[in-house]
Amino acid sequence: MDTIKLTIDSQEVEAQAGMTVLEAAQSAGIYIPTLCADQDLKPYGGCRLCIVEIENMRGLPIACTTPATDGMVVKTNTPTVNEVRRANVELILADHPSECLICDRRERCGPLDICLRNVAVTERCVTCPKNGHCELQTVVDYLGITEIPFRRTLRSYAVDDSNPFFFRDLNKCILCAKCVRVCDEVVGAGAIAIINRGYASKVATFADKPILDSSNCVSCGECVAHCPVGALMPKEDKLPTEEVATTCTYCGVGCGMYLGVRDGQVIGVRGSRENTVNNGFLCVKGRFGFDFINHPDRLEHPLIKKNGKFVEAGWDEALELVASRLGKYRPEELAVVSSAKCTNEENYVAQKFARAVLGTGNVDHCARLCHAPTVAGLVQSFGSGAMTNSINEFRDSRCILAIGTNTTEAHPIISQEIKRAVDNGGKLIVANPREIDMVRWAYLWLQHKPGSDVALLMGMMKVIVDEGLADQAFIDERCENFDDFKKSLKDFGLDFVEKTTGVPKDKIVEAARIYAAEKPSAIFYAMGITQHSHGTDNVIATANLAMLTGNVGKPGSGVNPLRGQNNVQGACDMGALPNVYPGYQAVADADVKKKFEAAWGGQMPGKPGLTITEIVDAAGSKKIKAIYIIGENPMLSEPNITHAKEALEELEFLVVQDIFLSETAELADVILPGVSFAEKDGTFTNTERRVQRVRKAIEPVGDSRPDWQITCQLGKKMGNGGFDFGNPSQIMDEVALLTPSYGGISYKRLEKCGLQWPCPTPEHPGTPILHTQQFTRGKGRFIPLEYKPSKELPDKDYPLVLTTGRSLYHFHTGTMTRKVKGLNVLKGEGTVEINPQDASKLGIANDEMVKVSSRRGKVTARAKVTEVSPVGVVFMTFHFAESPANLLTNPALDPVAKIPEYKVCAVRVEKA
Amino acid sequence: MPKKKPANQRTVFICHGTGCVSGKAFEIREALEKEVAGLGLEGVGVDFTGCHGFCQQGPIAVVEPEGIFYTHVTVEDVPEIAQSHLRDGKPVARLFYHDPVSGEAIPLYKDIPFYNRQKRIILRNCGRINPERIGDYIATGGYESLRKVLGEMTPEQVIDEVKRSGLRGRGGAGFSTGQKWEFCAKAPGDQKYMICNSDEGDPGAFMDRSTMEGDPHTIIEGMTIGAYAIGASEGYIYIRAEYPLAVKRVRLALKQVEEKGFLGENILGSGFNFRIHVKEGAGAFVCGEETALMASIEGKRGMPRPRPPFPAQSGLWGKPSNINNVKSLATVPVVIAKGADWYAQIGTEKSKGTAVFALTGKIANSGLVEVPMGYPLQEIIYGIGGGIPGGKRFKAVQTGGPSGGCLPASLLNQPVDYETLAQAGSIMGSGGMVVMDEDTCMVDVARYFLSFTQDESCGKCVPCRLGTKQMLDILNDITHGRGKLEDIDLLLKLSEQIKAGSLCGLGQTAPNPVLTTIRYFRDEYEEHIKKHHCRAAVCEGLVSAPCSHTCPAGIDVPRYVRFIGEGKPAEAVAVIREKIPFPSVCGLVCFHPCESKCRRAQLEEAIAIRMLKGYAAKHDTGLWKENLKKAPPATGKRVAVIGAGPAGLTAGYYLARLGHSVTVFEALPEPGGMMRVGIPDYRLPKDILKSEIKEIEDAGVEIRVNTRVDSVDGLFKEGYNAVFLATGAHQGMKIGVKGESGSGVMDCAEFLREVSLGKKVEVGDKVAVIGGGNAAIDAARTSLRLGAKEVSIVYRRTQAEMPANPEEVEEAIAEGASIDYLVAPSRIVNRNGRVDLETIRMELGEMDSSGRRRPEPIEGSEFTTGYDTIIAAIGQRPEVPERFNISVGRGNVIEVDPDTLATSREGVYAGGDAASGPASVIEAIAAGRQAAISIDKYLGGEGEIDETLAPPEGDLAPLEEAEEQWRPKMPTVPPEQRLGNFAQVELGYDDKAAIEEAKRCLRCDLEERE
Repeated sequence: MDTIKLTIDSQEVEAQAGMTVLEAAQSAGIYIPTLCADQDLKPYGGCRLCIVEIENMRGLPIACTTPATDGMVVKTNTPTVNEVRRANVELILADHPSECLICDRRERCGPLDICLRNVAVTERCVTCPKNGHCELQTVVDYLGITEIPFRRTLRSYAVDDSNPFFFRDLNKCILCAKCVRVCDEVVGAGAIAIINRGYASKVATFADKPILDSSNCVSCGECVAHCPVGALMPKEDKLPTEEVATTCTYCGVGCGMYLGVRDGQVIGVRGSRENTVNNGFLCVKGRFGFDFINHPDRLEHPLIKKNGKFVEAGWDEALELVASRLGKYRPEELAVVSSAKCTNEENYVAQKFARAVLGTGNVDHCARLCHAPTVAGLVQSFGSGAMTNSINEFRDSRCILAIGTNTTEAHPIISQEIKRAVDNGGKLIVANPREIDMVRWAYLWLQHKPGSDVALLMGMMKVIVDEGLADQAFIDERCENFDDFKKSLKDFGLDFVEKTTGVPKDKIVEAARIYAAEKPSAIFYAMGITQHSHGTDNVIATANLAMLTGNVGKPGSGVNPLRGQNNVQGACDMGALPNVYPGYQAVADADVKKKFEAAWGGQMPGKPGLTITEIVDAAGSKKIKAIYIIGENPMLSEPNITHAKEALEELEFLVVQDIFLSETAELADVILPGVSFAEKDGTFTNTERRVQRVRKAIEPVGDSRPDWQITCQLGKKMGNGGFDFGNPSQIMDEVALLTPSYGGISYKRLEKCGLQWPCPTPEHPGTPILHTQQFTRGKGRFIPLEYKPSKELPDKDYPLVLTTGRSLYHFHTGTMTRKVKGLNVLKGEGTVEINPQDASKLGIANDEMVKVSSRRGKVTARAKVTEVSPVGVVFMTFHFAESPANLLTNPALDPVAKIPEYKVCAVRVEKA
Repeated sequence: MPKKKPANQRTVFICHGTGCVSGKAFEIREALEKEVAGLGLEGVGVDFTGCHGFCQQGPIAVVEPEGIFYTHVTVEDVPEIAQSHLRDGKPVARLFYHDPVSGEAIPLYKDIPFYNRQKRIILRNCGRINPERIGDYIATGGYESLRKVLGEMTPEQVIDEVKRSGLRGRGGAGFSTGQKWEFCAKAPGDQKYMICNSDEGDPGAFMDRSTMEGDPHTIIEGMTIGAYAIGASEGYIYIRAEYPLAVKRVRLALKQVEEKGFLGENILGSGFNFRIHVKEGAGAFVCGEETALMASIEGKRGMPRPRPPFPAQSGLWGKPSNINNVKSLATVPVVIAKGADWYAQIGTEKSKGTAVFALTGKIANSGLVEVPMGYPLQEIIYGIGGGIPGGKRFKAVQTGGPSGGCLPASLLNQPVDYETLAQAGSIMGSGGMVVMDEDTCMVDVARYFLSFTQDESCGKCVPCRLGTKQMLDILNDITHGRGKLEDIDLLLKLSEQIKAGSLCGLGQTAPNPVLTTIRYFRDEYEEHIKKHHCRAAVCEGLVSAPCSHTCPAGIDVPRYVRFIGEGKPAEAVAVIREKIPFPSVCGLVCFHPCESKCRRAQLEEAIAIRMLKGYAAKHDTGLWKENLKKAPPATGKRVAVIGAGPAGLTAGYYLARLGHSVTVFEALPEPGGMMRVGIPDYRLPKDILKSEIKEIEDAGVEIRVNTRVDSVDGLFKEGYNAVFLATGAHQGMKIGVKGESGSGVMDCAEFLREVSLGKKVEVGDKVAVIGGGNAAIDAARTSLRLGAKEVSIVYRRTQAEMPANPEEVEEAIAEGASIDYLVAPSRIVNRNGRVDLETIRMELGEMDSSGRRRPEPIEGSEFTTGYDTIIAAIGQRPEVPERFNISVGRGNVIEVDPDTLATSREGVYAGGDAASGPASVIEAIAAGRQAAISIDKYLGGEGEIDETLAPPEGDLAPLEEAEEQWRPKMPTVPPEQRLGNFAQVELGYDDKAAIEEAKRCLRCDLEERE
C-alpha cells in the first residue's frame, strides 16, 4: 500500500493511501471527537463532530469520510470547528438526560460516594449506567462544555426491557445509528432501523414493537457493544475488575473473547477485536451465554451412587473407586468417550489414558455424530479431513456455495463473513431444503430434497464438464482418477437430477455456471452434508466439485466443513478417535504403534477400536462393561435414545465426568465434577485449524477440578507414569513432540492469535490454506459416486420427512445453554416446524401441541407453522430434553464414517 | 396503420393535467365528444393536452386554431360550447378568462397576460400537445435532437455544447449541467447510471409534475442525450408515488419510445444502448437530495450520505451516476436543437436560460410561470401574477420552497437569478414562489416552514435533526408570547451553526426562512416578544380574537358584539368603555382595523364592527357607570395635558380616574382636536362629541380652551408633576409645485378646521382636491356641501394604492365627486381669481420600500385644467414649538420610547399624531391609554387603568352553523339630500339589523385552543 504524508495540526503524519482523514489522525494518535464513526462500520457522517478545516477545501469537511491525500493540511482543533462542534453537542445534550455529563461532582461520583441527589452511589451515577464509559462524556470533556444554552427537550419513551440480556432506553439515544448499522452491515439481521422523520426519528424494530417481538433480532448484543452512550445497556451492568482473554466455549468458530471477572465470578463478555476469527464480534451465546458457569446446579463434589442415590464423596474415595472398578475389566470391555467440549490437552490425556492405561482402542467422541464423514471423505479426496481455508478469506470470495449449513444459526460469526462477501459483490448460492435465513442474501437458492445432495452436486458437475467449465489444467496437474469419475457423471442427467432433487434444471445450470466461473469459489457445509447414511459420499461430492473447478489451495476457495463444537477439531486432532493417534496417525500403522509404545511405554492396541455408536451397541450386548464418559451426553445426542438408554443401563460400571448432572450422568455409578472453560487453562482448535488459548479466569467452582487433572490423577493411580503434568502447557509440549502437525506449537507461540496447523516446527508460521502446492495426500483424488437414497423414506404410515438441526440460542444437548435463563426466554422449548400446507391437511394450528412419531418413538412438542419448512418436511432442534428429537431419528449408519442418519427419517405428525 | 381521417378544422383541447382532471376534465371531454357526435358536427375534434400551468382557472379548454381559451369549464357548459361556439361560431364569452385587475374578458390564449409575458422553453409543449401520443411530440421536432446527437456528435461534443449553453441545474443548486456530465463521463467504470430527479417535494410546486404529465418525451429525450454523453446504459426516473398521472404518462411514453427504437438496444442504429426504469418514491421530501434519492432507489431508507465520494464517482449501487432535475433534462433537447449560443443569450450573465416558478399564495393568478433568468420579481408578481387580491398589501415573497428565504417589498425590483437570490438570503430552489400579504405573520411563516423542514429532516445528522427542533421550539415560544429578546440572537446563532454543520442541503438551507424573516422583518419578531402582538393576527398563541388583537386599544370586540346580539346594547357599551372613553366617536368614525382581520371575511364579509359599536353607543343607558370603581382619593399630583384631542382627553380621563389632578390645555376654542376640526359634521355631529367630552370632564378633567402652551418648563414651574404632549398634527404639507402658495390654493387641514369652526369658506364651483387620503375625501365631500358643482380628486397612484377608506370613497363618488387616478400636479398658475392646475399623467414603476409601486411621470403628458379652488390634501405634520425643548424626528414627530411614550425629557410624555404622525382616532386613544399608564407609574402609581364595567356574560348558546350572510346595509341619507347641509349621513342600524349582524360573529375568542 502507498504511504502518503499529510500535516495534521502542524504535525507531519504518515498514513496509508485510502485512509480517511479520521483514520490518518487516529493512526497518529490525534484525537478527533466523533460519536458515529466506528472502525467496524462504514462511515456515516451523522454526528458532524469530526468536522475539520482542510486547506483549499470549502466549508468544514468531516474527517470520517474525507479521504486523506498527500500533502493535505488539516486542522482539527480550531475555534471555528470547535464552535460548530460545541453547538452540535449542546444540541444533543439539550435532548439527552445529561446530569452525568455536566454534573459538577462528576469526578467524585465513584464507589460509595454520595452524589448530588444524596443517593448512595455504589457503582456509578444513578442516572446513567454508562457514566465513566460514555463516549458522549468524552466529547463533552474535550469541548469543555459545562452548560446547555438551549431549551431542554426530554423524551419519555418507555424503556424496552423485553430482551433478557439488555435494556433499550431510547431516551438516552443520540441516533448515531451504530446499532442499526452494526445490525445491518455486520450481523445482517436488520432487526432495527430508524423510523419516522425529524425530531421523531428513532431506532425501532419493525412496527416499533419491543425488541423481543422482532423476529429478526438475534440478541447478539452487537448493538449494545457498539452503543456509545447508555441507550443500550446489558442488564448485567456491573463492571468487571479484571478481564481475561480466552476462547469461546460454544461452537467451532472459536471466537476470541475477554471474560469480565468481578468477585470471582464471570459477569460479562467482550469480543476480542485483535482476534482475526471474529474481529470482536460475538453471537448471543458467546456474549450472554455465560450464566451456566456459576449456575447453582453445577456439580461441586464427586458423587457416588449408593443404593440408587447419589452421595457426595471425597476425591480420594471417588478416584479410588473408579480406578479399582475400571481396573477389573479387560481392555476390550472398556471404552472412553472423550469430549469435543474439552481442551486439546484434556482430549490428549483422555485418549492416552484409554490407550496407555486401559489398553483399549475404544475411544471416541461426538465428532462421530457430526463430522466423521468429513474426516473419512476428505482424507480420501485430499488427504486431510479439515477445513481447507481460513474464515477471514471469504469476504473476497466471488462465489460461496453454502450447502447443508444453516450458518446464521449454527455459526453466526461465519455467516457474517459470508454476508461480507455478498456485500462485496460475491454471489451466494444456498442449497438447503429449508428457507433458512441466509436465503435472504442468496443470489440463488436451490431447494433440494433432504438427502439428495449427491444428485444435486453431481448434476452441477455434469453441467460444468459438459459446458467445458472445468479447470482442466488443475485437474491434469494436481489430481488423479478423473476419467473414472467422469464416467460416473453420466448417470446424472439434468432430468434425473431435477426429479431427484426437486430443483428446476435451469437453476442447477445457473448454479453450476456461477460456481465454476466466479472464482474464487468456496464451499461451506455442515451437518446437512454429513449426517446421512451416505454422508461420506456427500463430502466426497463437495471435494470433487472443488477440484473440478480448481477451487482448492487458493485464498477464498476450498471445501470448508464448519465444525460444530468448540473443540471438535482439536478432539479429533488429539486422537480421541478409535482409528488414529494424535495428528491422524493410523492405529493400524505398525510404525506409528511403535512410536507411541516407545513414547508412552507399554503395549498399544494394534487395530482400531469401536466408534461411539458401536460402543453403545456393544454396551447393549454386554460386550462393553464399563465406560468413562468425559463431558458427553449420549442420552440426548445418540440417535434412537430409547435404545441408547437401554444399552447404557446394561453397563456394569459407568463413570461420567461433567459439570452438570446430565441425562447421561443420571445413569452413572460415579460422577466426577469437571470445570467449565472459564476455570481452566488449555487450548481449543477451531474449525479453521486454529489452535487458541483458553485461560483460567476464575477458580473452580466448589470442589470441582479441571478435567485434565482428573484424568491425569486416574492415570497416575492406574498406570505407570506419563501423567505427571503440572499444567496443560506441559501436555501441549508432549503433544508437539508426538504430533507432526502440532510440532511447532507451544503456549508461548499462542499468546497472540493462535496458530493454524499444520505447524510442524517452532519456526513455522502456521497454515491458513491447505493443499496450496499439492494435496496432503499428493494428488487430489476424484472419486466416482452414485446416488443413494436415504435409508428411511416417507411412506403411508410415516408420511413426512423429519430433519433436525440447531437453534441459534442453544448448544448441543443444552447442558450449558439450558442453564442460561435468558437463552431460555429467547427459546424455551423445542418446536416442530411444519409447512402451512401440511399443517392445514393435518388440522394443526400454529402453537398447538403435536405428537411426532417415528418407528422408534414419540415426542410431543409445539407446532410452528412456517413456510421455512418445505412441504413434506418437518424440522426439530435436538437441544431439548423435553422433546428429544433423537428419540425419533434413525440410527442407520454411514458404512464408512459410522455416522447416524440424523437428517432424514420418516415420521408422522398428529395433534397431541 | 389506422385509416387517415381528413384533418379536423377545429379541435377542442381539454386540459388533462392533474388539476383539471380533479375538476372532472375526463367527464368534460367525454360529454363534449358525445355532444359533438350528437350534433353531428363535421370537422370538429376533441382532444386533450397536459397541464397549462394555470390550474387556478381550470378546467381549461382551448379551441384551436382560433385559440379561444375557456376557463372554469364544467360538464354543464359543454352543450353551450358545442352549440354556440362549435356549431354557430359564437364563442361563449362568460367562460373567457377575466383579468383579475381590470375585470376585462380576454378571449384568446395568446392575449392573456399570464401567458404572453412568459418565455416557455421547459414548458414549451405543456398544454400544446397530447402527452399520450408520441407523434405529437415528434411533430414538434421531438427526438430530432437525439438523432442529431447520436448521428453527428461525440459524447465530448454533447457535453461541450451543454457546457457552453450555460445550463445550470434546475433542481436548485444551479451547478453547471455540462460540467456535471463531464465529471460522470470521466469517472472510470463500466456501468453508469443516468437518473432523473422527479421527486418534487416542495409544497405548492408542481412544475416537474406538469412537465411529466404534459410532455414526458422531452424528459426521456433529454435523459437519453445525457446518458449518451456520460456513457450510461441504464437510467432511472424517480417519481413520487403521489403523482400517479405522471407515473402513468411517463410509463406510457417509455413504452412508445421503445417501440419507436429511441430507447433500448442499438438506438437509431448508433450502437448506443440505454434503458430507463421508473422508480416510485414514497414521498419523503429529503429524497429530492441526490444521495438520499439513490439510497431510496436501492431500497434503503432515504437518507443522504456525505460527499465525497460524489455520485459521479460512486453513486447508485456504487457506480458513477448522474442526477438531473426534470427541468434541466427538459431543456437539453432545446439546447441541442437550437444550439448553445441561442440558449446562452437568454437570461443573465451567470444564469442562463429560463426558470419555472410555481407562483402561489396571495396572488391573483397562481400557476406555473416560466420566464428568462433575471426577470424582475415584481414583473412576475404584478405583471404575470396580477398582484395581490382583495386590496391587501404585499408583504413578502418566498422563493425556493420551504428552505427558501422571504424577501420584502424593498427587494421586489430585484431580478430573479441564482446570484441575486443568494445575496438576498434566499435560493432558487426548485422554483416555489409563495406570495404573502399583510395578513401573513412573518414569524408564523418562519415557524411553519421550519416545522416542515423539521418534519422532513431524515434524522441522520445532529444539526438538522436537533437544531431545527430547537429553532422550532424557540419560534413556537415566540408565537405563543413566551419568547425572549435573546431568542432572536439564539436563532441567528443556531441558523449559522445548522448551515455550517448539516450533512445535506436540507439542513444547510432549512434556516433560510428564519434568517430572512429576521433580516427583513425583525420588528415583527420584537413585537411578538415585547408586546405579545401579532400584527397579522394569526399567531394562535397570542391572538384570541383577531378583531380585539388588531384594535389598537384592545377593545374586547367579540364580547360586546355578543351583548348586542343578545339585545343588550348598554352592556355592550360597558365593554367598549373598558378600553376607550369615546364609544360614539369610534362607532362613527373609527377606521376599524378590527374588521380587516375578521375571520368572517374569509366566509363572505367582515362583521360590521364599527357600525355595531355606533349602534351600541346610541343605545347607551349609562349602565357602565354602575360598575365604575369609586374614584380613589386625590393623589395630589398634577398632570398637564397639552392638546384636547383624542389622545390628550383619553390620557386625561384615565389619569383623573386614578386620582390625579389633570388640566388639559387646548389652543383652539373648542376641545376635541381632529375629532372636532378634522372630521366633518356629517360624519361626526358636534353634539355627540360634546357629550362624550362631557363625561370626561365629569371625571374631573379640567379643559382650558384657547390656551396655547409654548413651554414645558413653564408648566413644571407652575407645579405640574408630569406633562403629556398631545398636540396632534395640524400643519398641512406643501405639494412642492410652483404656484401653490398663491390664492385659490388651500391647505386641507386648515380648510376643514375653518369649516368645522363655522367660518365661512368659499370654494367656488369647481374644486380640485389633491391627495388620496381620508382627508382628501373629507375635503371633497365638504366642498360639495359648500356648493361646489364639480369636485375632482387628483391622485397620483391607482385605486389599489389609495389609502382612503373605501367606504368613504364610495360615499364621495355617490355625492358627485370624481377621482383622477395616476395624475400628479406639476404646476399651479393663478389666473384672474381662478387657478390653473397643470397635471401630468403617471405610470407605476418599481416598488418602493412600502411595497407600493412608485408612480413615475409620463413625459409630455402634461395637461391643464382650470379650477376655482385647489385643496392640497397630501398630508399633515405636527408642529412642535422649539421651546418644548424636546427631540423631534423625521416628519417633525416627537421622539418617544415606543413602549412608554416617554420623551427625551423626564416627566414629559407624548402621544397621538404629535408622536406618530397623522394617524387615526383609535390609535390616538390607544396612545392616550399608554400615556396614562406611563404617567401614573411615573407618579408612583401602578398604571392600572383597566376596569371591568360590563356584567358577566351569561351562558352562551352554541353557535349555529355559519351560513353565508352579508352584513345589513347601513341606512344613509340619500346623496341628493346631503348637499348644502352637514347633517349626519349614516343613520345607524335599527335593533333588528344590529342583532342580526352581531349574530354573524364567529366568536373566535371562545375557540378551544391547544
